[in-house]
Amino acid sequence: MNKFFTNKLSIICFIFIPIIFLWHPNWLGMLGIQPYWPLFWLLPWSMINGSINGLIFGLFLGLILDSVSIDSSFTQIPGLILCGIWFGRIKIHSDILIGHFRYGLVCSLGCFLCGFLHFVQILVQNFLGSTFLLLIPSIKNIIAEVFLTGLLAPLVCSQLLRLFKSCRGKSRIINYAKK
Amino acid sequence: MLDIRRISTSRWWHKKKTWTLFSIFLFLIFVRISKGSIYKDFYYFISKPFWPGQFQKEIILKSSDQESLIKLNLLKKDNARLREILNLQESSNSEYISAAVISRKTGSWWRQIILNKGSNDGVQVGSVVMGPGGLLGRVKSTSFFTSSVILLTSPESKVGVWLDRIQLNGLLIGTGDDNPDLILYSKDADIKVGDFVSSSPASTLLPSNIPIGIVQSINESLKAEKTAKILLLAKPHVIDWVQILKVKI
Repeated sequence: MNKFFTNKLSIICFIFIPIIFLWHPNWLGMLGIQPYWPLFWLLPWSMINGSINGLIFGLFLGLILDSVSIDSSFTQIPGLILCGIWFGRIKIHSDILIGHFRYGLVCSLGCFLCGFLHFVQILVQNFLGSTFLLLIPSIKNIIAEVFLTGLLAPLVCSQLLRLFKSCRGKSRIINYAKK
Repeated sequence: MLDIRRISTSRWWHKKKTWTLFSIFLFLIFVRISKGSIYKDFYYFISKPFWPGQFQKEIILKSSDQESLIKLNLLKKDNARLREILNLQESSNSEYISAAVISRKTGSWWRQIILNKGSNDGVQVGSVVMGPGGLLGRVKSTSFFTSSVILLTSPESKVGVWLDRIQLNGLLIGTGDDNPDLILYSKDADIKVGDFVSSSPASTLLPSNIPIGIVQSINESLKAEKTAKILLLAKPHVIDWVQILKVKI
């Protein structure tokens, strides 16, 4: 059982992303806006497993998060797929301190990309309607989300990366011992 | 002669990983089609110990008394004016379902709340959700144990409203912030800050005369329409208990 959890820890964390997304803890937010949670998992996962896995799990995350949010005016899939591919190309930095800040920067940029894509989708959907009404709240959403994601990313991503790497290392050792 | 053949185990359909990913993908498609009902029901069970306490009900009862007074006055006026046209039904407590808010997204891209009552308790898509103060939104989707409510502040929300003082219908559109916009398709509408807004008797989505909000500010534009910001009476970011109204319009 313990071995199972060690091997599948990253997948177990993946399952809990929509739960945190639904939970939406107010005390972690700013102006009622939350950090963009899926990126915290996607960054370490893609850094370890590469762009292709990043793309696949970006798609999976997008599918599941679109299912739990009822707003059908935009989808999160394109942003998460692009982030998955991009994160997969990032190498782990040898300097721990620089690595920490880099997670924050990368997650902030990823969050900006996702937010921008949401905004574009809403604009396209409401092209004939009153688009100017949506402009200010959308900019506020993007700025707050980027700030919070960048603030929390060094803390969460570095821990998850350490966890995923150690699990991967352990499972390799177990597989090698079996052979 | 040397026969070079591809080893059968190297083909993609013989790989376990491919089939695992494919089955996960199929499962997620199923989740997507079922609008995440599995996830919402799972969330229902794990969030159960953290649901809001019973004391909230007392606050709701006090607020609903005030709300009822406003509503009663409106109904009296409406009765006299539309007796021959509308068949206003008497409301009773049996039409309401009390529900707790178990997930709340009120300040982001998504403006929705999830309630702990679903199709199992008789909640239907399109049911009206009211909190202390007035209208919150409408049920967009239901799972067995939960229901998802689209708030009036969501850009997807568009409802017909009634301005009692000037006796005019308008359209309330969510803009993604806390104050939705009221659009009146009349340049000469004598709208003032502080005017009371309720659901329109002409609406096909909502029952008439549910309190919604008051006019906060008016935007004068050069277009043929007049817009105003509405301050909602029911505050979705603080309400823990709501009432789902089973309506037959």
